[in-house]
Amino acid sequence: MTPSYFKRLRLDVVREWDLYLMLIPGILFLLLFKYTPMYGIVIAFKDFNIYDGLAASPWVGMEHFEKLFLSEDFARVFKNTLIISIYKIFFLFPLPILLAVLMNEIKNMVFKRGIQTIVYLPHFLSWVIVSGLFLQLLSTNGGLINKMIVGLGGESIAFFMNTEVFRSVLISSAGWKEVGWGMIIYLASIATIDPQLYEAAKIDGASRFRQIWHITLPGLVPIIILMFILRLGNILEAGTEQILVMYNSIVYEVADVIGTYVYRIGLGQQDYSFSTAVGLFDSVIGFILIITGNYLSRKFLKRGIW
Amino acid sequence: MRQRTSILDKVFVASNYTFFIFMGVITIFPFLNLIAKSLSSEAAVISGQVNLLPVDLQFGTYAYVISDKLFQSAFINSVIVTVVGTLLSLIMTSLSAYPLSKPKLRGRKIFILMFVFTMLFSGGLIPTYLLIRELGLVNTLPVLFLPGMISVFNMLVIKSYFENIPEALEESAKIDGASNIRTLFQVVLPLSMPVLATISLFYAVAFWNDFFTAMIYINSPDLKPLQLYLKELLASANNIFLKLDTIDINMAMNVSPQAIQSASIIVATIPILLVYPFLQKYFVKGVMLGSVKG
Repeated sequence: MTPSYFKRLRLDVVREWDLYLMLIPGILFLLLFKYTPMYGIVIAFKDFNIYDGLAASPWVGMEHFEKLFLSEDFARVFKNTLIISIYKIFFLFPLPILLAVLMNEIKNMVFKRGIQTIVYLPHFLSWVIVSGLFLQLLSTNGGLINKMIVGLGGESIAFFMNTEVFRSVLISSAGWKEVGWGMIIYLASIATIDPQLYEAAKIDGASRFRQIWHITLPGLVPIIILMFILRLGNILEAGTEQILVMYNSIVYEVADVIGTYVYRIGLGQQDYSFSTAVGLFDSVIGFILIITGNYLSRKFLKRGIW
Repeated sequence: MRQRTSILDKVFVASNYTFFIFMGVITIFPFLNLIAKSLSSEAAVISGQVNLLPVDLQFGTYAYVISDKLFQSAFINSVIVTVVGTLLSLIMTSLSAYPLSKPKLRGRKIFILMFVFTMLFSGGLIPTYLLIRELGLVNTLPVLFLPGMISVFNMLVIKSYFENIPEALEESAKIDGASNIRTLFQVVLPLSMPVLATISLFYAVAFWNDFFTAMIYINSPDLKPLQLYLKELLASANNIFLKLDTIDINMAMNVSPQAIQSASIIVATIPILLVYPFLQKYFVKGVMLGSVKG
């Protein structure tokens, strides 16, 4: 078998040489920018320093991982990551589903399209811009929200510098940016539901709510499960970019997550080996979660993530 | 009975419309606030009088922002990175997607796995940083587009589009003696304009919005892209000492730091607003393509 396979491969490569040629830039790109850093992970098991270089730095085995599991800082960022992620899932995962179901009941196409155009927009703005918008809105110096709070007899809140409310700022700004856009996948899914089902239900005298409950929602269940599995696979990504733009040292205690911690320890304090170990821990857990999710999805939904 | 359900129905429809109007308002409201601040006088902004409409209308803030040398260079850097990055990405991504869309390509499964694996696992921030430094790319503009040239997700979307192009169209080109490369450029790509438009907009928005790459690799002020410039502008205004400094400098200009931030954010958003109508035409299709690939 083997020799004939290579023979055929050689024949193919000769005949379709330019097909293989086209693939070369992409493969080189992957090898250089994706796979070389994977090799670089070995520094998590070494005491890396810039002067000795990667090969000459001494091996230290699992030392950095022992330090990681004993580190109070790591325990804190791990906890923050989970808390922020779980809040985001709890509040922001169901909202787009609800919105899509409600949006589907809007029959005026002009209105529907207009609102969609507006609520999809924030998705295309960077976190820097969104952060700027919220800084102004929530500012203690003439911010609209604080003016409303004061107007209602409350005391103004320094939202970005208050450990009690900062996580809420993270979650609501993430909601403002992504909830509208999140609808799109569910709307697309609703569009594939057979219209005859609704016709039949109407003939049977089913009310709008019964139609939603018995047709729309059941039709959405597979995509909801799939999206939920995908979301859980990303549970260790609490929104690093968002937090990097929005947080400051006053709220580290509640907002420092794995991604921001790796950034600060690695690039700020140049503790390369230890921060690589933290990053590896993060990548491995993420990998296991997504593989498990894909397995479950194939088993129960007969449909893989990829 | 019939009467009751129809009243309930009307209430539902009315509240549904109200709800979505409310949602639209919530989305627009921060922008109105920002635009109002950017167009108001310094005194009005500092004393916190500005809500949704400008107070003491003036355009000096925009003049100030646009005349800033660092803002200009940041804007130009972002334009260069976005244009060059998008073009390179399109070429690289299509070149990879085409062979991988051909079932006859031997080793196809392994190549696809090589691409997909990078979506699931990565070397992480620090090993990537060390590589980029080793390559001498720190503090250069290419670092802002080279490592992001191929998004595997976008590659898979283009690949599945190519797979749906009828084989017969390519075959006729082949019979005329065209090579695979010529077939790609003269037959396949012209037939794939919708997906290429979608993907180029996705790439362009990603390059335009990226601040993280610059935050890691760029130190020199004249190489910073717009998003990083803005991020630092926001951070400096949060810092009370820097804030006092900027107030001193800006007194003479009759503009406040808040108004400068606001105007800068608006100017950085305008390019996105310009492509948004095109984006909107295509992205639903892009999302669908992404979700149906199996």
